[in-house]
Amino acid sequence: MADEPAAAGAGQDYPTIDPTSFDVVLCGTGLPESVLAAACAAAGKTVLHVDPSPFYGSLYSSIPLPSLSSFLSPDPSTPSSTAAAAAASGSHTAVDLHRRGVYSEVETSGAVPEPARRFTVDLVGPRVMYCADEAVDLLLRSGGSHHVEFKSVDGGSLLYWEGSLYPVPDSKQTIFKDTTLKLLEKNVLYRFLKLVQDHIAATSGAGDAAGIISEEDLDLPFVKFLNQQKLSPKMRAVVLYAIAMADYDQDGPDPCEKLITTREGIQTIALYSSSVGRFANAEGAFIYPMYGHGELPQAFCRCAAVKGALYVLRMPVAALLMDEEKKHSVGARLASGQDILCKQLIIDPSYKIPTLDVPFDESDSNCPRKVARGICIFNKSVKQDASNVLVVFPPKCMVMLFLLVDPVSILDLALEEQQVATVRLLQLSSNLAVTYRKANLTCRFMAYLSTPCTDASTGKHCIKKAMDALFSPLDSDGSQGQLATTSGSTGDVKPTLIWSCVYVQEITQGTSSSLLSCPMPDENLDYRNILESTKKLFTDIYPDEEFLPKKSAPVHDDEDSDSGE
Amino acid sequence: MASRRRMLLKVIILGDSGVGKTSLMNQYVNKRFSNQYKATIGADFLTKEVQIDDRLFTLQIWDTAGQERFQSLGVAFYRGADCCVLVYDVNVTKSFEKLNNWREEFLIQASPSDPENFPFVVLGNKIDVDGGNSRTVSEKKAKAWCASKGNIPYFETSAKEGFNVEAAFECIARNAIKNEPEEDMYLPDTIDVGGAGRQQRSSGCEC
Repeated sequence: MADEPAAAGAGQDYPTIDPTSFDVVLCGTGLPESVLAAACAAAGKTVLHVDPSPFYGSLYSSIPLPSLSSFLSPDPSTPSSTAAAAAASGSHTAVDLHRRGVYSEVETSGAVPEPARRFTVDLVGPRVMYCADEAVDLLLRSGGSHHVEFKSVDGGSLLYWEGSLYPVPDSKQTIFKDTTLKLLEKNVLYRFLKLVQDHIAATSGAGDAAGIISEEDLDLPFVKFLNQQKLSPKMRAVVLYAIAMADYDQDGPDPCEKLITTREGIQTIALYSSSVGRFANAEGAFIYPMYGHGELPQAFCRCAAVKGALYVLRMPVAALLMDEEKKHSVGARLASGQDILCKQLIIDPSYKIPTLDVPFDESDSNCPRKVARGICIFNKSVKQDASNVLVVFPPKCMVMLFLLVDPVSILDLALEEQQVATVRLLQLSSNLAVTYRKANLTCRFMAYLSTPCTDASTGKHCIKKAMDALFSPLDSDGSQGQLATTSGSTGDVKPTLIWSCVYVQEITQGTSSSLLSCPMPDENLDYRNILESTKKLFTDIYPDEEFLPKKSAPVHDDEDSDSGE
Repeated sequence: MASRRRMLLKVIILGDSGVGKTSLMNQYVNKRFSNQYKATIGADFLTKEVQIDDRLFTLQIWDTAGQERFQSLGVAFYRGADCCVLVYDVNVTKSFEKLNNWREEFLIQASPSDPENFPFVVLGNKIDVDGGNSRTVSEKKAKAWCASKGNIPYFETSAKEGFNVEAAFECIARNAIKNEPEEDMYLPDTIDVGGAGRQQRSSGCEC
């Protein structure tokens, strides 16, 4: 790749792009940029979409395991835009564009299992799609669904509670089948689900209006509402963290601002239940793309290309072209030295937005949100007979011990720290073609973990703690810890961890001005927030255009009749 | 369920821009030809029902959608191909020389389980141009290259005249059938959110 400086813009074998003026130029092929490219192309705009990498996906890609470390810790001496050093040409000024470090604190352990290239890792993990969410609808509307296939998270969800894993009772059937719940708990949970379902039915006009939950209750913190419904602490944890997907402690001593309301909780439950059974052969609410999440940006880029967008990989953007007052971007200078003019420039969030003469109200440097992520490879499923499973560790379910050496007394100080945020783990098996897929090779499982954090080391610590809870290290032979799996008890030995990687990722939001920056992969399990802000960016640029209208899917037989004969 | 995979054959067409990939597809599927060149817009894939030895197959022919222009086809495009068609223009030597790059690119990206025996078919297109007088790549030279790469079947075609197009695609279909899908192991129960869309024209598909 770009490992030598481009002398005068022609040092490398960069192609020349023709035409040189577009409505929209996008740099980076993450999911938001790719969806925007498809939406702009579908709206009839001329689109140039470039990416500095030789592959699609940017921060949303799935990459072969051997490439992971160089992706997470890129060589700091990457040549930055010598081409941009060229003086201002004509009526515009070039402002150098630089990448920022998105990942930090990368720590791997264990030996990379061979054949390492057979493992594909997501950078956005753990992540799934609800069968009924916006991402699926966008794929259908754009025609991108032709390019991706999915598998179910067939093992459902598990809750880590008091040192054991319990199946998450998320429907009447699973409550009925559950062997770990007491009869009273089952009754309370039945009643609660019925209440929510009546509300959902009533608000959609299908049910009895009497079933509507009062506005007052809807504005209540969800946890209070659950208390009113007399759910036990464990059932509350199930509903709050494993179904409503709350990130932060909902019943801590100090009321934190991250409390979800009943309304929000019920919204997610509604999405959850409309996802179950949407596709005939999908089990449960969640699906995962075959070959990894990196397939999704490619599907949208393909839709954009079919609508005429021009694609150039291995093409960094070196500089922004600004108008004379440095107020508006008027184009981009590519690493080739070529200037491309455009009405709208959209860049992926791994580029720093240069401080321009215009004041920026969005200060993303203040206290950036962070997410700690983990990737691990191990030898058997955390749940018997299930290949793909979601595991939720609610806040405070793990005791966090920090050993610090006091520099004065030289004593070990044990500090107990609260696990403030939910840790989620998604286990994937070889049926997703992201791990081993040959029958004659040993079975390997892979899992992604994440937890939102403000402090990097706390976040990493939570991730490691969760790994410790489920896996035993490779070297402890014979004496592995017992993990009581109440679902399919086999007197199990914990799965053995073979390889793991823990790192921290910054999260910046999308920003829109004359220069648009897309959102980074967030701490959520799904793409809802990312796609919502992507849609907002689109309506900011084109308020009168519909965002990927249904008709935008390509027609698969060429209907135009311009026969030249 | 596994039969879905058997019935549907994915064929991808590679080659430099302007060699006539879209025209060949259009001639074969729609029996139409347009003299007007436009870098491919609007075509995702074309499908055609074919009958081979009393069995019905759906040939799904994937166009590069212009992403070949700057060698920017993503790995997803190559996945699951049953046959790869390499096209060059017999009047443009460079497009012939690039066949090797396209073949290698395919093998790297698609990483078929048995690269030695993966079915390719080579088409030398535009033999009609100037009554063959502007031709710069001889049939002999093309055949020699095909022979050196494990006897790749070779056809000389004219998408404009419709010459040899049917025969070439029949060979493509036959070779695609022979390709043993390595992914059978886990493919049968994948969820296609577009429903049966992959096998139908997607425009009317509702979920």
